[in-house]
Amino acid sequence: MNGRIIFHIDMNSFYASVEAVHHPEWRGKPLAIAGKVEERRGIVVTASYEARAKGVKAPMPVWEARRRCPELIVKTPDFELYREASRQLFSLLKTYTPLVEKVSIDEGYMDATELARRVHPLRLAEDIQKRLLDELELPSSIGIAPNKFLAKMASDMKKPLGITVLRKRDVPKKLWPLPIADMHGVGAKTAEKLTAIGIRTIGDLAAADKAQIAALLGQYGEMLHERANGRDARPVDPEAEAVFKSISQSTTLPEDIVSEEEARRVFQRLAVRLSERLKKKRSVAYQAAITIRYANWQTTSHGKTVHQPLQSPQELAAIAVRLFAEHWDGRPIRLLGISVQSLEDAARATKQLDLFTYQTDAKEEPLLEAIQRLEAKYGAPVVQKGVARGQAAFKKAQADGARTPPPSPRPKQSRHEHSESEAEERPDSENESHA
Amino acid sequence: MKWTQWLEEQKTVATILINSLEQSRLGHAYLFTGQKGTGKREVARHLARSFFCRNKNGIEPCGTCRDCRRIDSGNHPDVVVIRPDGRSIKKQQIADLIKAFSYRGVESERKFFIVEQVDLMTAQAANSLLKFMEEPDGQTVCVLITENVHAVLETIVSRCQVLTFKPLPPEKMKRRLIGEGVAPAMAATVTALTADYEEAKALAGDEWFAKARSVVINYMEELFAQPQRAMMTMYEQCATHFTDSNRLHIGLDLMLIWFRDVLSLQTGRPEAVVFTDRLERLNAIADMIFMERTASGLAAVLAAKRRLNANGHPLSVLEQLALRLEEGAVSHV
Amino acid sequence: MALATSSIAGESGLLMKLTVYRDALAENVNHVMKAVSPRTTIPILTGIKLEATPEGLTLTGSDSDVSIQAFIPLEEDGVQKIEIHQPGSIVLIARYFADIVKKLPNDQVDIEVDSRFVTRIRSGQAEFSLNGLDAEEYPRLPVIRADNVVPIRKDLLKQVIRQTVYAVSTSETRPVLTGANWAIKNGRLTCVATDSHRLAKRVVAVDVDPAVEYKNVVIPGKSLNELGKILDDNGNDWVDIAITSNQILFKTDNIQFFSRLLEGNYPETDGLIPRDAKTEIILNTKEFLQAIDRASLLAREERNNVVKLKTFEAEKRVEIISQSPEIGRVYESVPVIDHSGEEMRISFSSKYMMDALTRIDAEEIKVTFTGAMKPFLIRPLDDDNILMLILPIRTN
Repeated sequence: MNGRIIFHIDMNSFYASVEAVHHPEWRGKPLAIAGKVEERRGIVVTASYEARAKGVKAPMPVWEARRRCPELIVKTPDFELYREASRQLFSLLKTYTPLVEKVSIDEGYMDATELARRVHPLRLAEDIQKRLLDELELPSSIGIAPNKFLAKMASDMKKPLGITVLRKRDVPKKLWPLPIADMHGVGAKTAEKLTAIGIRTIGDLAAADKAQIAALLGQYGEMLHERANGRDARPVDPEAEAVFKSISQSTTLPEDIVSEEEARRVFQRLAVRLSERLKKKRSVAYQAAITIRYANWQTTSHGKTVHQPLQSPQELAAIAVRLFAEHWDGRPIRLLGISVQSLEDAARATKQLDLFTYQTDAKEEPLLEAIQRLEAKYGAPVVQKGVARGQAAFKKAQADGARTPPPSPRPKQSRHEHSESEAEERPDSENESHA
Repeated sequence: MKWTQWLEEQKTVATILINSLEQSRLGHAYLFTGQKGTGKREVARHLARSFFCRNKNGIEPCGTCRDCRRIDSGNHPDVVVIRPDGRSIKKQQIADLIKAFSYRGVESERKFFIVEQVDLMTAQAANSLLKFMEEPDGQTVCVLITENVHAVLETIVSRCQVLTFKPLPPEKMKRRLIGEGVAPAMAATVTALTADYEEAKALAGDEWFAKARSVVINYMEELFAQPQRAMMTMYEQCATHFTDSNRLHIGLDLMLIWFRDVLSLQTGRPEAVVFTDRLERLNAIADMIFMERTASGLAAVLAAKRRLNANGHPLSVLEQLALRLEEGAVSHV
Repeated sequence: MALATSSIAGESGLLMKLTVYRDALAENVNHVMKAVSPRTTIPILTGIKLEATPEGLTLTGSDSDVSIQAFIPLEEDGVQKIEIHQPGSIVLIARYFADIVKKLPNDQVDIEVDSRFVTRIRSGQAEFSLNGLDAEEYPRLPVIRADNVVPIRKDLLKQVIRQTVYAVSTSETRPVLTGANWAIKNGRLTCVATDSHRLAKRVVAVDVDPAVEYKNVVIPGKSLNELGKILDDNGNDWVDIAITSNQILFKTDNIQFFSRLLEGNYPETDGLIPRDAKTEIILNTKEFLQAIDRASLLAREERNNVVKLKTFEAEKRVEIISQSPEIGRVYESVPVIDHSGEEMRISFSSKYMMDALTRIDAEEIKVTFTGAMKPFLIRPLDDDNILMLILPIRTN
């Protein structure tokens, strides 16, 4: 694993920054995103740097934030907007290399080892940061290090708009003096336990006896000990984001609809297409949501997490219709959509059968038995082959991607245009569009 | 009230319900719509009495048996009433309702549900209610009540038999109040203030309101009989009684009635007078002042109401009004 | 029109008057308090109803779903418990009444109610005066005729509850499944509970006229669990069950437990229980349970607690495997006493299996499979009256 170059890209007060893009008049002003602005109990979720300078920070009650900063602009979160910005952010990162791992809506890792053969990592980071700022108007901090942990710690060292390099040899000077609570992966509870045995800095942890740490915190402790010493072998895994991935299918209706029956037919149609796409990806979903856009363009979204995986058109349509029946307020509808999230490899999915419906599943049993017989005869790899080959092909594609030189900066993307990697968000017929 | 009386008050609604009761073919779901005070809740309760009373005379419940009495007191375990708690029907209330739907009755298989202000239900709550209304069994009756039928989900409306309650004509309301023992002058006063029977009845029995009425009449009479003392009366009585904006609104409404009464007499319509108990003094004042004066008095009170609506301070609104009224009164005596 | 009984005062001008031993009163108030809920939408149910008759005093508490009645007879085992001076009834706010009774100083308690429902409670030097509520406002519970009861042994009833109620649904999406379905036919009581992922069924013989028939008596699982708790292990060995169109009553000694029934038709489940068998294995319950228990350590709830089972005919054993890529893998081998039919590979929830095995009360069990996608049955080796059914998990 020697000689890797890992970037951690961390967006600066992401929600507030995204809001500022949409409200240019708020730029440079103290802004806070808070739930339930109208209520006194609202809590600040995130604050712009201008607000932070006045002592506003998350999580702080709105009333207190206002007391500290009377001119504070408070906005309720618009997660659809943030998700959209996040999609743009990651598709921009993927124009450099497919080796991008999304960690959350506003941070990710990038394996820049290959890229660094032709571009200096610092120049590359500057280019990424500049493009994020120019094209998406979003400030970011980037950490550059030989592994994920150090990259993450580095990106935290200078905010906003920082670029910090943390080499292995910098660890004693830059990392070890930090208080243990600042270490990524150390929560309040863990920090308390460590402090109790005299470990106050990351350096203390690095110097501590590994066995003692293991006795205190188990396997997790060993891992923390490794990291404190600047060691972290985790690869950047582009597939890790699968859980965050969502596939959606929506349609703008030629005429507004006003009945449940019509909506049911639309959902059935959408479910067929969505199911095909899930099957193509060999995935099942554990979350589903519907989008209803009313004739006045007001758009609402309602989701549900399920225990049994969703893949078939029947399952998808059923949950969509149920969500619709629960949430439709009776007004005319212009657009309907279904989306699924929490995707999982179908091969790993399990489904608890139901007494009143198992017969439909049981119909597939002969097929399953045939596979089992084959497995018994030739061993498991035979039947797994389809999947295995798929993964190999994917790995190859990654490698190919990594060999391609980084594309020259692209023309500024419009907000409504979608890059290749988001093909599934794209309208798939003339009257369909993405939500 | 009995069904025969409801037949007079709400002919269409009562006819339909009486027929259904007589033929023992009550529907599963009704939506009662109509303005406030038109008897929707009372009819729903009366229907519940007819549904449960075991001592009926024809379809008329006895009103005195255990079932009837407990429907009135809210203790009948199989009459479930959901009333919004504040501005909306809470999730817990809907959960209770759904639970009541899924259990058999406590005392028999019969259950009766009344959901008031059903328009305040969230779409989600309404839809879960709907699920149970789709598969009714023979022993359950559900009455939904709203003043705003347009705010009720179409899917709900379409599953209910909609019964529309007509507003109560003022003359009828006044007679009904008098029938319930309210003094005629008071009945006329509250009828002039609200079209809602329940509200009117409550006002008529309210001590503060009775005092408000006499304070206003006293002040107005003094304004024209002894204008030099009126300002004092205003401070001593009006200002101490109409202490907040809501109260002052009622006071101003009473002043409007007083000026309208004077105007009615001046235009030769004594039958329209509301404060009939002060007819003699009203007549004297009507003779004494010009009609223009009455009209400008009305205008001054209306202006005061507007100021109050625009968050004017009650006392300063009252002071300003008193000054305007006094000028007019003095100059015309 | 009949006059309300509570408005008939005795010659003394009192609605009710009695003297009762404090301990008997406290004990029985305690019983009925179990049914009183502080969260009720029916005002009268905040109270306990006291009804004095020449035979004794009946106390009632209720949250409308469950009602409990306790009866204090004039005397018990030759000891006088209560003296009724004036029969009548009253409802007293449960919270206050229960606390007062507990703390009264003297062995004897005098209770008298005047015509305005004011209730005086005297004991030694203490005198309380409580505002009571009209007993006529209290819900009417079904009155059961003695010839209409189904007697059942108490321990058997407790066992039936333990072996079935665990399988009721906790989800409100299909309310009727939150209850257990009871039916009586040909002198046999059949109890079924299912949440649609597993099912438990228990049949017991009851001593009734074979002509007595009840069906679709769906008792809320919550009520049965409550009942299980109050059925103590001493006292009378028998419980009388009475069923009406809306309530079911369990009567033991001096306590009567009422539960409302659930609305709706319980789904037909007999047709869904497989009759044929492709594979049948006989196992030692304890060994199998312990193996499943260990395997479940690595089973994850998000994955339906899945464990895999393989049977090996020649080797007379089963393998239990559980693995998750994130955690690791566990492998268990359990000997079978007998294996007949095809070898089977099936996945199921370890939790459901443990729920069934811990309640089956048999040393050896017979597990019958009809296919990897079909329900399988677990029964005691030689008792057809208990059946636990589990739906498998489909894996790819």
